[in-house]
Amino acid sequence: MDWFNRPEVTVVTGKAPLRVSELSVIIEELLDNPLLQDILVRGEVTNYTHHTRGHRYFSLSEKGGGNTTAVIKCVMWRSDAEQLSFTPDEGIEVIATGTVRAYAPHGSYQLQVKEMRKAGLGEKFLLVEQWKSELRAQGCFSLERKRMLPPYPTRIGVVTSETGAVIHDIRTVVARRYPLEIIISPTAVQGEDAHREIAHAITRLTGRVDVVIVARGGGSFEDLFPFNHPDVVRAIVACPVPVISAIGHEVDVTLSDLAADLRAATPSAAAELIVPDRMILIARLKELQLMMSTALQGRIARAWDEIAEMRDRLRPQRFRRKLEEREQNIADLSDRLERAFSNRIGREKLILAEMKTALDSRSPVAVLARGYCVAEKDGAIVRRTAAIKQGDSIKIRFYDGSSQVIVERVDCERDV
Amino acid sequence: MAAVRLLWSGLIVKETYETKVEQLKQIIEKIEDGTTGLDESMKLYEQGAVLVKQCELLLTEAELKITTLSRDA
Repeated sequence: MDWFNRPEVTVVTGKAPLRVSELSVIIEELLDNPLLQDILVRGEVTNYTHHTRGHRYFSLSEKGGGNTTAVIKCVMWRSDAEQLSFTPDEGIEVIATGTVRAYAPHGSYQLQVKEMRKAGLGEKFLLVEQWKSELRAQGCFSLERKRMLPPYPTRIGVVTSETGAVIHDIRTVVARRYPLEIIISPTAVQGEDAHREIAHAITRLTGRVDVVIVARGGGSFEDLFPFNHPDVVRAIVACPVPVISAIGHEVDVTLSDLAADLRAATPSAAAELIVPDRMILIARLKELQLMMSTALQGRIARAWDEIAEMRDRLRPQRFRRKLEEREQNIADLSDRLERAFSNRIGREKLILAEMKTALDSRSPVAVLARGYCVAEKDGAIVRRTAAIKQGDSIKIRFYDGSSQVIVERVDCERDV
Repeated sequence: MAAVRLLWSGLIVKETYETKVEQLKQIIEKIEDGTTGLDESMKLYEQGAVLVKQCELLLTEAELKITTLSRDA
């Protein structure tokens, strides 16, 4: 290598230096690996801080053999942290669900936590996750099978504990809003066998009610565990009428809630969703009553209008006007008749005069007036010499008279 | 099985309240319809007024009925 012309590193490696941002992008892309998305991580909470904005920052750590420790930084955004069912604290074992992301401004990677549970519940939690994916694959949670609640339910089935506030709450709401029949299907709501009992309590209502509430008061994840059981989920799915769930507090979502046609935050809310409020119904009724009165008033007003119009049409002035119109009409017609008639007469007179002139011009009297004579024999006009002979007595007619003459001689000058 | 008082069975709700309200709506439509005679409109109004009364009674006099099924069933 030349001592004086030592080349740039880039020339040696044949690569341009990356900018930090470019490197960050490469790392981010590497972290997009599915192995790092939506994963469950178990560890101990350390360095926990609750930021004033509501976000939670902490680390999950694991002590290995000897003195080795593995740590991953975690962040839980406020919207997710608000759903936490416990308050995380230093040193507690948790199972977190989240995705690993690079955070370029700090040059670090961290687990963005969506959900977190205490690790003591880990096994059951994992079981629920497993059931969830199985039941989802079977279509138990699909939106297509969600049914509409009946607008006017007649009998409500309530699957819950006989003791406890749930039934009281539902009863209070129903009694106030829209009293109807409640059929309680009692069941244990926690304990080893509870899932079987709950499923049976749901099935037992078949054919008796037209909507079912499955309800339970608040409790720990373990308390609510039976409502995650596939037996209960399948009973809800198989229920021939819509099922509304109100299990635990709003933050606790059980698989039963996912399978139900509708989820209510509390048992009271479930009852409110199911039964119409009679105060609203009465108000609606008043509205209908008002609409009906308005309609009738409108009809009566229209009737008045009709009568007024008819009265107007029957007025004598109107009738007289009609008569006058007719009289006028008749006068007009008679005028026209007269005019037409006199016109016609005048025309006829004219024609007659013309005819008279024509007639006159053809009259033999006019010819005679010009000096011609007409010979007649025995009353017939003599047109040819052959018609007369010597000695015949014929009549010569002049313009102003006639004379009787004797033919002395006949000269035929032309044979025709 | 413990039936608490008999009152307003749900059947009445469906068969009468709902249908009565439906009838009421039809009556209003008929009155609004220009082809319905005044006489008939008045009769319809009277019928409608009766329906409103009945519906109000159904709503205000309704009472809750609670039945608890046997756990062994």
